[in-house]
Amino acid sequence: MPITPAAADTDRTLKAKQAFFATKRFRQNIPLFIMLIPGVLFYVIFRYFPMGGLVIAFKNYNFHDGILSSPWVGLKNFELLFQSKATLQIIWNTLTLSVLNLIFGFPAPIIIAIALNEIRRNWLKRWIQTIIYLPHFLSWVIVAGLILTLFSIDGGTLNKLLGQWGMEPVPFLYRADSWIAIFIGSGMWKEMGFGAIIYLAALSAIDPSLYESAALDGAGKLRRIWHITLPGLRPTIVLLLILGMGRLMEVGFDQVYNLQNPTVLEKAEVISTYVYKVGLQHAQFSLTTAMGLFESFVGLVLVLSANALARKFDQGLF
Amino acid sequence: MKESAGGKLFSVIVHLVLILIALTCILPFLHMIALSVSEGHAVDLGRVWFWPVGLDFTAYEYFFENTPALRAFGNSVVITLVGTALSMLATVLTAYPLSRRYLYARKPLTTAALFTMLFSGGIIPTYLVMNQLHLTNTYWSLWFVGLVSTYNMLIMKSYFENIPGEVTESAQMDGCGELQLLGRIVLPLSLPMLATLTLFYGVGYWNMFMNVILYINRTDLQNLMVVVQGMLQIQSMDNMMAMDIMQQQELISEKLKAVGVMVMVVPMLAVYPFLQKYFVQGVMLGSIKG
Repeated sequence: MPITPAAADTDRTLKAKQAFFATKRFRQNIPLFIMLIPGVLFYVIFRYFPMGGLVIAFKNYNFHDGILSSPWVGLKNFELLFQSKATLQIIWNTLTLSVLNLIFGFPAPIIIAIALNEIRRNWLKRWIQTIIYLPHFLSWVIVAGLILTLFSIDGGTLNKLLGQWGMEPVPFLYRADSWIAIFIGSGMWKEMGFGAIIYLAALSAIDPSLYESAALDGAGKLRRIWHITLPGLRPTIVLLLILGMGRLMEVGFDQVYNLQNPTVLEKAEVISTYVYKVGLQHAQFSLTTAMGLFESFVGLVLVLSANALARKFDQGLF
Repeated sequence: MKESAGGKLFSVIVHLVLILIALTCILPFLHMIALSVSEGHAVDLGRVWFWPVGLDFTAYEYFFENTPALRAFGNSVVITLVGTALSMLATVLTAYPLSRRYLYARKPLTTAALFTMLFSGGIIPTYLVMNQLHLTNTYWSLWFVGLVSTYNMLIMKSYFENIPGEVTESAQMDGCGELQLLGRIVLPLSLPMLATLTLFYGVGYWNMFMNVILYINRTDLQNLMVVVQGMLQIQSMDNMMAMDIMQQQELISEKLKAVGVMVMVVPMLAVYPFLQKYFVQGVMLGSIKG
């Protein structure tokens, strides 16, 4: 609020002024807080209550006693989790798939954005953008349907093609290595176009005169990209990397669930699908909640440490 | 300025790669369309690529008459329309107060919302809350579990904050209340962003899969995604165990898969071109600030 020169204001008028603004502010706040009611209820009931419900990771939950009065068991669920070979394998799968996703999926939109930026024909650029954003809006059920049609062993398009060339059919979806490749590739295919939007926004903020003067100094295209484009993208890259770190422990449920099949389950079962199958379908609530808590907790630690690291370079997110 | 030979080569490669990627995004759909309307034996012989061989719509007829797809389609429409409306309403009502500088406890409230992006209770505790409230097997569970997307809410909040202060302040001087300010000034100034977020929510509800299999057990309430996924899954088990089912479905299975995919894709393709220009604009606006 604007403050008039102190000399002109006596203590009393200042206080009166403050009281006036306080009441005015108070009156303004009443409708705002009424508006906030649905949002606050949503966050409390469907976001914060479940966080409280995480206590069942330290209990032996049963429907009869409910969340509050089920007996405490300490860390027994976590011990079970980290002693069983099967659950360790699932945690390992989750990590492998998500790290691979980050390694291949993260740079792809950056490359697409830089490539799009090099296209001078505007109509072509617009067409390509429109087309490559599309997969982002499709559900994993659809993408899984496409993948089945392309890669399945009997009747899959690729295997029909191989058959016409006189080759044996390949069980692409039933071998762990090719399944993982298809998994990572489909994730890239779906998100790389849409992910490029945010980098394109950052690219449009780069001063074009930088490119001109670099070109005058004899810098080739690749050197211009390396010395001007990439540094211009750095804040965006760091920001998205921090957010990506937070998701490192989760693999999208829809993607895995729709792509996995019994043959590759040993490599394809991840925390979220296991929690659904064993937790909900077989009522192992406490054990799977412990697993979910582990997943959320590691995600939180990762995002906070990535942020702390970025802060050292003055690029922290919060 | 003349381009060097290296620059030209680079440009050619860039064009080729991008066009190739764009083709990978289109061709699978052309293939699916062609499969879904071609004659059955041509499909089985692998003669159908990107153009239909013959014309045969029986798979579509079969799909809508002999599977629960039509009902599921209706369910999907209801889930999407009501859900999007509720979510937009709740998001506006949350983002607007948080965008006002004079709101008490503005910072802690925003942080509390932000925290839910970093940490969550997870599948089981959320399910137990839903169960406790007796919302499972009703669409309320689907609408409530993702009522406000924190990401969308923060985009909206920063958009509202960027509306020039003079505009809102002068309206308030004229005695404009908060609700009027929101309805007559702030929202009309935010149409591109509102269109974007409506699209995001709409797509989210249309594509909803996990929440439906978590919260909805009754088959008559399931949406298109879950129903078609069930059909794809049966037909996809082309390993030994499922051979019997395969043989039963053999007649039109390949085509039926394509039909299922097409029925899910077509509504998306129908609205996509119209909304496309808004979401690019909207995402840009959100990303610059956020």
